[in-house]
Amino acid sequence: MAASSSAGRVLTLCKQFQNVFRISSAINTKHCTATLTRCQPHLYRETSPLAALSWCSPVSAVSQCRALHTTVSRRGLNEFFDLPENWGENNVKSGAPWTAKQLRTKSNEDLHKLWYVLLKEKNMLLSLEQESRRQRLQMPSPERIRKVNRSMFRLETVVKERETALRLLQTGQEKGRPGAWRRNIFGYSYWYRYKEYAIPWYMNKRYKQKRFFTPKFVQPHIRLRLEKHMRGKARETSLQRGNRSKLKEKFPQMKVSAS
Amino acid sequence: MPVTRLLYPLYQLGNPQLRIFRPNWFLTLVRPGKEQPPDTVQFRTPMEMTKYDIKNYLENIYNVPVGVVRTRIQFGSNKKRNYRNQKIKQPDYKVAYVQLAQGQTFSFPDVFPEKDKTPEEGSMEEMEQKYMEDEKQRQKLDPRRGGVTDWFGF
Repeated sequence: MAASSSAGRVLTLCKQFQNVFRISSAINTKHCTATLTRCQPHLYRETSPLAALSWCSPVSAVSQCRALHTTVSRRGLNEFFDLPENWGENNVKSGAPWTAKQLRTKSNEDLHKLWYVLLKEKNMLLSLEQESRRQRLQMPSPERIRKVNRSMFRLETVVKERETALRLLQTGQEKGRPGAWRRNIFGYSYWYRYKEYAIPWYMNKRYKQKRFFTPKFVQPHIRLRLEKHMRGKARETSLQRGNRSKLKEKFPQMKVSAS
Repeated sequence: MPVTRLLYPLYQLGNPQLRIFRPNWFLTLVRPGKEQPPDTVQFRTPMEMTKYDIKNYLENIYNVPVGVVRTRIQFGSNKKRNYRNQKIKQPDYKVAYVQLAQGQTFSFPDVFPEKDKTPEEGSMEEMEQKYMEDEKQRQKLDPRRGGVTDWFGF
């Protein structure tokens, strides 16, 4: 109860910081030191939310995009663990996960860096989870793993969207991996996705054993399958009809929805 | 909702190694069960990672100098059964023993130290703790009768 209220407080704090940054960034787009720090946590556990970062690269006047600056990690294997002051706590505060809407506003470089930040955070949380299982203690705030998973999933969707858009513009293809509609031996037609091989298909013995056509002796099976499917459909419709007529008998004023 | 990576391009000698570009693999640092030499770190990795992948991962993402990586696959047991007598499979995982280069050592730290958990004044935690203590005090039996239940005596 206390944890959720404190988390709620942190969340609102983060949203407030976000608004502050939006305003400030609108002012200093031309200045180089507009840094985007961790309103969304999991970014830098080293620094406090509003602290300026260690080095800022100059942004050219041509591109007014704000770059995400990260510190070079010098903690080595200690990055698999939390900050030492969080060891032994019952719950560690963390903010909200990234939403797809927020991620769409970021540049590709930012998303790339964020991916690695989230990756490291997830590694740390998984290590902590395993250690807590070993020590038979409860892991502090396990919802962090779910938050990181959702952020990563949304990041991946945003990147995929951008890739498909670029591919459509450049080549006119929607999907990256080529494929074709093929019929397998059971009579089903499906989308076969091509796989990369080192040798052409006519030298590939295993591939040649695969048959992408339906032999004649499968036709009776297909017919039986069709009959079964149609019988099932007919049964379903007659059942629906029977139910409706029974209801109509009991409740004559009932209005039957057109389904 | 897992993130799925499409097929990696076929690797032939001289191709660029793309597997550590925005990888979807997560390493878990674990405490070794058996005593390990001081420069060895033990990880649980996904089954698809190779020794080279692990080395590149640690060197590029974590800046950790890696010497040698040895891996083995741990079989997850299939022996336990549920209430329906169906076998329950624990997932398999790959264990990697990474030896650090440049004479570095690593010892697994104590991540759950004993901390003095006194809540600060006027906070929810303090009020909760007081309430719990009061409840416990109420549940205790009469100390004047030696904490014995009412079943005994008059």
